Amino acid sequence: MSTQEVSADVTLELITLTIDGFEVTVPKGTLVIRAAEKLGIQIPRFCDHPLLDPVGACRQCLVDIEINGRKFPKPQASCTIPVETGMVVNTQLTSNVAEKAQKGIMEFLLVNHPLDCPVCDKGGECPLQNQAMSNGNGESRFDGYKRTFEKPIKISAQVLLDRERCILCARCTRFSEEIAGDPFITLNDRGALQQVGIYEEKPFDSYFSGNTIQICPVGALTGASYRFRARPFDLVSTPSACEHCASGCDMRTDVRRGKTLRRLAGDDSQVNEEWNCDKGRWAFKYATANNRIKTPMIRGADGELHEASWPEALATAAAGLSVNRAAVLVGGRATVEDAYGYSKFARVALNTNDIDFRSRVHTDEERDFLTSAIVGVQVNYSAIDRADHLVLIGFEPEDESPIVFLRAYKQVRKRGLKVTTIAPFTTRGSKKLNAQVIKSAAGNESQLISKISGLTSKSVILVGERLCESYGALSAALKLAQTSGAKLAWIPRRAGERGAIEAGAIGTLLPGGRPVSDVAARVDIQSAWGVKSIPENIGRTTSEILVGLQSGDIDSLLVGGVDPLDISADALVGLEKAFVVSLEMRHSSITEIANVILPIAAVVEKSGSFLDWEGRARAFETAVDVPDLRSDVRILSMIAEKMGKPINLPTVAAAANEFASLGNWDGARAPFIAASGTAISGDTILASWRLLLDAGSLQDGEVNLANTAHPSVAVISTDRAEKLGVKSGDPVRVSNSRGEITLPCEIKDIESNSVWVPRNSHTSKTIATLGIASGASVSVVKA
Amino acid sequence: MPFTNEDFTVIDSIINRYPRKRSAIMPLLHFAQARDGYVTNESIETIAEKLDLETAEVIAVVSFYTQYKREPVGEYHVGVCINTLCAVMGGDAIYEGLKEHLGIENNCATKDGKVSLERIECNAACDYAPVVMANWEFYDNQTVQSAKDLVDAIRSGNPPAPTRGPDKLPTWRENSAVLAGISDGRAGEGVSAGEPSLLGLKLSKEGK
Repeated sequence: MSTQEVSADVTLELITLTIDGFEVTVPKGTLVIRAAEKLGIQIPRFCDHPLLDPVGACRQCLVDIEINGRKFPKPQASCTIPVETGMVVNTQLTSNVAEKAQKGIMEFLLVNHPLDCPVCDKGGECPLQNQAMSNGNGESRFDGYKRTFEKPIKISAQVLLDRERCILCARCTRFSEEIAGDPFITLNDRGALQQVGIYEEKPFDSYFSGNTIQICPVGALTGASYRFRARPFDLVSTPSACEHCASGCDMRTDVRRGKTLRRLAGDDSQVNEEWNCDKGRWAFKYATANNRIKTPMIRGADGELHEASWPEALATAAAGLSVNRAAVLVGGRATVEDAYGYSKFARVALNTNDIDFRSRVHTDEERDFLTSAIVGVQVNYSAIDRADHLVLIGFEPEDESPIVFLRAYKQVRKRGLKVTTIAPFTTRGSKKLNAQVIKSAAGNESQLISKISGLTSKSVILVGERLCESYGALSAALKLAQTSGAKLAWIPRRAGERGAIEAGAIGTLLPGGRPVSDVAARVDIQSAWGVKSIPENIGRTTSEILVGLQSGDIDSLLVGGVDPLDISADALVGLEKAFVVSLEMRHSSITEIANVILPIAAVVEKSGSFLDWEGRARAFETAVDVPDLRSDVRILSMIAEKMGKPINLPTVAAAANEFASLGNWDGARAPFIAASGTAISGDTILASWRLLLDAGSLQDGEVNLANTAHPSVAVISTDRAEKLGVKSGDPVRVSNSRGEITLPCEIKDIESNSVWVPRNSHTSKTIATLGIASGASVSVVKA
Repeated sequence: MPFTNEDFTVIDSIINRYPRKRSAIMPLLHFAQARDGYVTNESIETIAEKLDLETAEVIAVVSFYTQYKREPVGEYHVGVCINTLCAVMGGDAIYEGLKEHLGIENNCATKDGKVSLERIECNAACDYAPVVMANWEFYDNQTVQSAKDLVDAIRSGNPPAPTRGPDKLPTWRENSAVLAGISDGRAGEGVSAGEPSLLGLKLSKEGK
């Protein structure tokens, strides 16, 4: 264990020392600089960061230290020295030696640092600027020429380096190595020439690179997207939550004159600590994309969409939904409040349980698994911290929930956490986690889960959302958890999925995890909502709803935030016959066929909350106030009103309060009927998942970010490469009867009967092109 | 130039000397210089892959040590010590003299590729100051003239034997191989600790 963090599991040995004349008692292993913070004494520092290993690189935190009457001959760096009993520390507040040493270091650091604060992005929120004022000399004695460099150099498409500003604190390089496991930047050269740098052929394309900009204590690292855009004191900051995945990052959104200029990682030690991924940091321009819908639209008799007033559009939507048999599809990105709105709207206004949030590949086994084993259950990040064994099944954390990756990596690095993963090949992420890889063709996971042994009640099994694509695998994972006592958590990709389950936006559940099939649960909700009845039948799933629309069993659809191509290549077939009410932010293939379009607010434009994969609430406030754009729940409430079947959720706060007042179901859960998968066979089985940075529509509009995406490749085995006569980098064509994808190949330890491609990259969209997600046969040839 | 199977045999034998493979980075970089004369990008990528390091981590080491070159040097790399003792004993004059004589700047090679020149930091031979090194072999107690004679002899293909070290001056690549730990069988040749080096010991033994 490093000296930075003290485990809560062990009985702490406490140490008492004196700092500036005050006694303070802290756990053994605490650094002097932290102990001083406890007293409210701030020692100036640059390289010190509570989440990074101590390094003592900048020397700014020098203090005078005496132990049991013996004085250190020279001032010491308080960020590297752990406390000792009987230690007497004198900081700049009580020691002239410490104060002079600090001022000397500050002057030294400023010798080569430019005085370009007025044009530097960091100016106004810069630790160097601030501490030069608080702990430095007013005047410099340096009258030579400062170093200059060509500025800036791009160490990636997104991260820029102004070398003359760097004070060599090594925060960025330590972050990259210790936290992200991506030492793509290092301190190069030596002495006066030392600089942060990359290998010239390999840019700093880490998924977590943006954090280095945030922790740079000077303006040496800046982001291409924010550079020269604003002064910190002109920004209005709003606490936010990230809408991109289910990791649940705490965020801060900075807005200047109604425009989002940047988003930063917030500080939540329970969840994202102080980090986030580059997607969360930089992918926010989708909200200002030019295909944004700003006014309601109605399809006229001419078949074209026409702008309409809100009352007219609401009335048309209400009329269409009233006279028809309707179903609801709500994408996995709804907030808890919005999902609750859809859930209540389906039951009260449409009198149906035909609602499903799963706008992606999904199965009945998955629905039953979520209904029985996931809803209402909390497994937290801290379980990973304490785990004796972490098992990943159908889940690539670095791509699919990056903060889960960071947490696992931290434990692997600090205490050698044992990680096992069932995956098609050894990914870079698995390598970083030093994971034992149980290789499996996509679809065959259920056959291999039983190979995992030795789990205890301290073990954690994390299953990915896409594991449902492998029939029987969720059942096998649940059985493994039940027989071993290990904790089991399901990690969806989208931020709204967990909240949607709890809110009952699925055919088997009412809000609060109440089974539709349970009469007491229905009575609960009936009385809370003041309605006479709640439909008793189990609602249709997304695919059943689509079938119903095609066959005419369902003839109208309320849809919010769904991309049909996430579900299947044919999802749009049949929809044109139906009356479609679409609550959307931007034009899409759904709005092309919708009868009524109602514009909704983006995350930064509304308040609400998500439940992350843990089931933890992540609330956020409105950062950009756009008067005409409303949260989905408000619009649903207005439609219901027009239909004469009010759901009475006029505001996000009303929805949140009502949902909270329902409480969680404490009765029996619906029993889970295990599915049993069989071994699949085939010469060439497709495996795929979505890369963190890909063609996802929420990444639209941010070119710099897109340019740091990992390259799209087709992963094939050595055997196959030999058979095809290709070497790494040569193009191969992956195809079936529907279409083909051509990508450069990469030869890895994948099983020879498998091929892996990205699911939704610009050059590789499996559902749209091949009509499949994974687990089906394809052919691979040399292109 | 792609790495051959023979190259990989050498690389693996170097890696196998160490309990943790990343420890092999420095000899492997010398081996890369023995192969190509300097550290190529291809070498950096190969070493990174063999040692499970990122290429940036390899660059950090390459750029830290001035003994590793990212550009070709001469067949005989001549270093003139310009640290304090050598400098006052004539090192600065030797460096200036060679620069003018060869018509090249610091860290550059002559057009024939025979000789390159570098101002080097202390080489732990102050007892023979001022020293000049060719491919890290010592030429002791130099003067401007003797240093000029040395590079002339090198360029004409008859380098004199080092004052201390092997009987024949190895080329840059040959000595890079030695630094990589590949013996040339000449470790026993020549003087190692000469009289000035042992003078202090002798005086202390005599009780003076």
